[in-house]
Amino acid sequence: MPQVKPQWRSLAELAQDAQFLSRAEQEFPGLGVALTAPRDRREALTLMTAALALAGAGLGGCNGAPEGHLIPAVQQPPGVVPGVPDYYSSAHIDGGYAEGTVIKHFMGRPIKVEGNPFHPASLGATSPMAQAELLNFYDPRRSWGVTRAKLPRSRPALEQALADQRARLASTRGAGFVILTGASTSPTLAAQLEALRKSYPLIRWLHWEPIERENVKNAFALAYGARLAFLPLIQNADVILAIDSDLLSAAPGHLSFARDFAARRNPTRAKMNRLYAIEATPSLTGAAADERFIAGPRETHKILLALASALLGAPPAEGPPWLDRIVADLKANRGRCFIHLGPDHSPEAHALVLAMNEALGGRGAVYALVDEPTHFSSDDALSLATLVADMRAGRVNSLLIIDSNPVYAAPGALDFAEALSQVEFSLCLSATPSETSEASLWAVPMIHLWEGWSDARAFDGTASVMQPQALPLYQGVGPHDLLGLLLGPDAPKARDLVRQTWKDQLGAADAWTDALAVGVIPGAASSISNRPLSGAAARVRLPEPPKARIVLLFRPDPYLHDGRYADNPWLQELPRPLTRMSWGNPLQISPRRARELSLEHGDVVRIAIDGAHTTTPIIVAPGQSDDCIVALLGFGRRHAGPVGRNVGVDFFKLAGRSCAAPDIQKTGAKEELASAQHHAAIFDEWGVYARNGTLAQFHSDPDFVRRGDEPRPALYDWKPEGPAAWGMSIDLNACIGCGACVVACQAENNIPVVGKAEVLREREMQWLRIDRYYDGPPETPKTSFQPVLCMHCEEAPCEPVCPVGATMHDSEGLNVMVYNRCVGTRFCSNNCPYKVRRFNYFDFSGEERRAIESRNPEVTVRARGVMEKCTFCLQRIAAARIIADRDGEKAATVTTACEAACPTRAFTFGDLAAKGSEVAARRAGPLSYALLANQNTKPRVTYEARILNVDETKETGK
Amino acid sequence: MTLPRIGSAIRVSARNRQPRADDPIVSPAQTISSMTSKICAPPLQPNWPLWWKLSLATALLFVLILAVAIGWLFYAGVGVWGIDWPVVWGFAIINYVWWIAIASGGTFISALFYLAEVEWRGALNRIAETITIFAAACAAIYPILHLGRPWLFYWLFSYPNVMGLWPQFRSPLLWDFVAILTYVISSILFWYFGLLPDLATMRDKADAPQKRRFYGALALGFRGSDNAWRYYIAGYGLLAAVMAPLVISVHSIVGLDFAGAATLGWHSTEFPPFFVFGALLSGFATVTLVAIPARRLLGLDDFITGRHFDILGKLLLTSSLCVGYAYLMEAFTIFYGPDAAEKRLFTDKLAGELAPVYWATILFNVLAPQLMWRRSVRLNETLVVLISFLVIVGMWCERYVIVVMSLRRTHLPSAWGEYTPTIWDWLTLFGTCGLFIAGLLIAIRLLPTVSMFEMRDVILRNARRNR
Repeated sequence: MPQVKPQWRSLAELAQDAQFLSRAEQEFPGLGVALTAPRDRREALTLMTAALALAGAGLGGCNGAPEGHLIPAVQQPPGVVPGVPDYYSSAHIDGGYAEGTVIKHFMGRPIKVEGNPFHPASLGATSPMAQAELLNFYDPRRSWGVTRAKLPRSRPALEQALADQRARLASTRGAGFVILTGASTSPTLAAQLEALRKSYPLIRWLHWEPIERENVKNAFALAYGARLAFLPLIQNADVILAIDSDLLSAAPGHLSFARDFAARRNPTRAKMNRLYAIEATPSLTGAAADERFIAGPRETHKILLALASALLGAPPAEGPPWLDRIVADLKANRGRCFIHLGPDHSPEAHALVLAMNEALGGRGAVYALVDEPTHFSSDDALSLATLVADMRAGRVNSLLIIDSNPVYAAPGALDFAEALSQVEFSLCLSATPSETSEASLWAVPMIHLWEGWSDARAFDGTASVMQPQALPLYQGVGPHDLLGLLLGPDAPKARDLVRQTWKDQLGAADAWTDALAVGVIPGAASSISNRPLSGAAARVRLPEPPKARIVLLFRPDPYLHDGRYADNPWLQELPRPLTRMSWGNPLQISPRRARELSLEHGDVVRIAIDGAHTTTPIIVAPGQSDDCIVALLGFGRRHAGPVGRNVGVDFFKLAGRSCAAPDIQKTGAKEELASAQHHAAIFDEWGVYARNGTLAQFHSDPDFVRRGDEPRPALYDWKPEGPAAWGMSIDLNACIGCGACVVACQAENNIPVVGKAEVLREREMQWLRIDRYYDGPPETPKTSFQPVLCMHCEEAPCEPVCPVGATMHDSEGLNVMVYNRCVGTRFCSNNCPYKVRRFNYFDFSGEERRAIESRNPEVTVRARGVMEKCTFCLQRIAAARIIADRDGEKAATVTTACEAACPTRAFTFGDLAAKGSEVAARRAGPLSYALLANQNTKPRVTYEARILNVDETKETGK
Repeated sequence: MTLPRIGSAIRVSARNRQPRADDPIVSPAQTISSMTSKICAPPLQPNWPLWWKLSLATALLFVLILAVAIGWLFYAGVGVWGIDWPVVWGFAIINYVWWIAIASGGTFISALFYLAEVEWRGALNRIAETITIFAAACAAIYPILHLGRPWLFYWLFSYPNVMGLWPQFRSPLLWDFVAILTYVISSILFWYFGLLPDLATMRDKADAPQKRRFYGALALGFRGSDNAWRYYIAGYGLLAAVMAPLVISVHSIVGLDFAGAATLGWHSTEFPPFFVFGALLSGFATVTLVAIPARRLLGLDDFITGRHFDILGKLLLTSSLCVGYAYLMEAFTIFYGPDAAEKRLFTDKLAGELAPVYWATILFNVLAPQLMWRRSVRLNETLVVLISFLVIVGMWCERYVIVVMSLRRTHLPSAWGEYTPTIWDWLTLFGTCGLFIAGLLIAIRLLPTVSMFEMRDVILRNARRNR
């Protein structure tokens, strides 16, 4: 039984198949002629490949039933019910770790990603990348056919090449064969790799991520002698010290960490924890911190030594004066505090921090150690650098690259492209054409994660099976299939492999279907390790910090990561939380350094390090250390699609060099930065809009937030009469600025992407924006985030000024926008004090390169010349109402898209009129206030002011 | 009766005199018949000189540019302009208000001063009314152009429809729509009605048969009988009485377009009268700007004399003082009031990035016309033309300050933005200027530039006085 689908046949066979030809000719009228004209053979081949793709997907696939059963998570319908969505569980893979998701299907098409409430890494929330995965699935640029040396080839040709590789593997026992893939937690993949090693003992594989967390993982070898992972139990932590940390933004498990962290940030509901952040460059963790300190690489080195001396009894070391307070706080909270270090520090530093955490007595109480879920490479000595050396030396004759892009993302110093050209047989399995697939001999289309079977583990080891959400759209091959073909011509199907992996846990009759329904395999989580700390950990020597005055630091872009999402327009256009930048990655320089170099926002500089150079615009980053310049990775791709190509600057070229100071020269040119912040940052405004106070202030005067708001008299008070009164409360203590809500809203409501040129003209269309406010001097500002969406004001100023009455109030308190009536005078936008309305200046929806099937069918797609804004997900309210009418009972709670996606539960949406509703309780709380209350708009969206857990009473104005 | 020699009537001759302080309202050398001959001659002339042909050609070129700009706008969408978020109103509204202000000022002279029965009005009112209708035409196209879906503009009109929908009567834009519609229709009627006796005169004076037929058809059979005149004067007075309050109301409603909004900087009760003052200033400046070259080029120095210069100068000065008062009160109410955001916006106007535009407004609208306190300045043609031009530019800058600067600095600093006009914004603006000038040029080619039936009264009264 051949692995590839029965529809695949040789080209010659197809050319004789009259039935196929007649159907294919309808698509390609020239096909019949080309096939008979031998001089057009090349063109015929190309046509045939395309026709084959259609044959598989469309023509031949019509009679293909799904393999086996796909198990929906929530409903067990006899069939697909039109108009009723279905939900199937899956997972989003981030750096190898799984974040459980639930995909909403409509008439068999995936249209929305939601979090999986049963999965510990998601708890119902998603990251922006998980939300944007939908566009990756429908990406029109996904590879269609197999190519060899850039010419299309048939599947049998690929199979033949793999058969040749099998023969060579058998004869050389695997020597010279290397598999390069990203970090993986998939037990099935690991089993396959082990099986390969059993058959070919000298075969090697490398799990490599461009954005390394290797330092973290290697530290455990130093400190515990085993591959473990750090699992913070944040709900029990009273004090957290985060050093250059990505705890809330990108660390494995960050969604659940953010949830637990935010659960203890609102003093009206829980005892507040305290977060200290020490960092070189602004991050979400620093923005969420009660107190943030800036420290460049050298200062951080001193701080680590000082902490070691204070907590571990190491030789005395001087730290900055404010460190004593932090140390005292940590010591006072022994057993209820921990230190978290970011992934860019050396393994020795991590080992030291692990020792400090043990010394603070938090193990078991405030953190635990579990087995590291990601798998090892075939041997510890294998790294990308050694692999490249081997490739250059000719010791690698076959390289299989699975879902990885080293030609783009390997550090520039290694020059992977040149090394790849020395490899005789290279095969790149990739979903979209990339730099690596262009440079490899064979480029094979990979199925999307949603098109095949696999499994993965979360940060805490929880395992889940990922089921296909659709038949492969574009004739791809899965990683499991490809590896299976290395073992034999008849590789088992991926589903069987996965079932085989989990036959112990899921062997029982309903266990398999239950696991697919819930999205989690019960009882498969990693166990907590009791390994003791090795004595050497506390005495480990930290490597010397860089001597240079200024250091170039590399950070992954928060949304494009290592460039894999460069072709995703949602992620390109999503404004980064701190810089509000989109469609570009200007070099981040601190205010003082910028002044010294006489640089301004948007100035283009030439940065050179160790002979490699590039030109890039700069952006002034308030709150960044003067000792470092930060380059965001993931941009400047050459072989991405039309969305990602040549957007931003490729800094991977400069990576992997020495720690010398980069040389920065002004070029005199200036580039416009596509930022969602359209004016220079202001540094004294947050108290007015994103209200805040200290814990001491709150305790002494709980009502201080609303003290300045006088109730305003109204001439005519009209209350909507509807059964429900929808409202929303946004907790500013919880919002960390991640931006998942913005992408979720964009996905749910068919909001178009406008592109860089239009963002430069300030016409971005996202209904929800996360405002970022600064307080204090530009060198050391405090940062606060505030999501702003349509307030659905009870006295909406937008309503009386529309001359045609296109915006009005419904009986349940929503301000509804009637797209068909709008003539586009835009007076409503003038009158909105919050400026939440967005106008379709061009036919943005029509001009989007987007599969029509990927849109949400329950939401109108707006035409040119029409105003739009947040609707409180009226389609979800309507769906709930329909269910209530049909079942004759009170409607289930309505969750808006933003509320569902938020990892920290910052949004609370609900019926204010319902007894005991959460949103009514939050609205009535002491911290609750309305934005721009003096405009007397009576918004239905209120905020809960942010309280900072600092010792001294800070006077923050309103 | 003989016509003056071809060419002399419309050649810039050395005979044209500088206006002098002691000029009477009309030159005593003119009699009724000489005045009629003088005024009738240019439209009946078969060939006009080069300056007219060149100007018309240039103006029509700009009209073509306007057509292209509008075509492109309808095809590509309103995004071809520089408007964005949050500055969603830009040149379209600025130009609309600017043109309608120019139009309103013209009506002030032709309608309000008719009811005030002033003598000097006779020479200028035809020019004023012609300015009004072409400026109103230029203004009226903008509210349609700036719509996101302009083909649905008629939804602002309360027409019977199957949806049973009325427009939203609380919206200032709807009041605007009604006001402009009323104003355009009334201005055209008033202008045409005022032309009737003169068209009859043209018909009687025309030599070529087709010209006689042309003016005869337009004159609607006016024969100049006593009865006809009695009804005519009554009708004219009624129309003037209808038009006069429109001056105040139309521009007050345009002011309410802004005052009726909650936008920072707009939400002020002073806006309606402030806009009326601005309208007067624009209108007087435009009438001056058109009348002085017309006087030179068409040889009207006997009819538009030093008295007119003096009066126009004083009117310009008065309205400039009113506008200056309005600026002062704006500043006062903002700083006297409690709203911090308003103060911040005003400070941005005074000292922010666009402050030069604000100060240009003050300079051109308030300070430059103060030169008119001196009679020698009022009687100096060059200076008066220059000051009028500066005023018109200044009024445009004022609208820019109102529209753009309020929208770019809103309540929430996170929603602040910038506005950069695109080439299509500028082309549309200059296109409408071309349309206006083309209209004026065609009007002076075909129609008498001075209201003959009113000038007869003026000449008779002056002759009686001088006797």
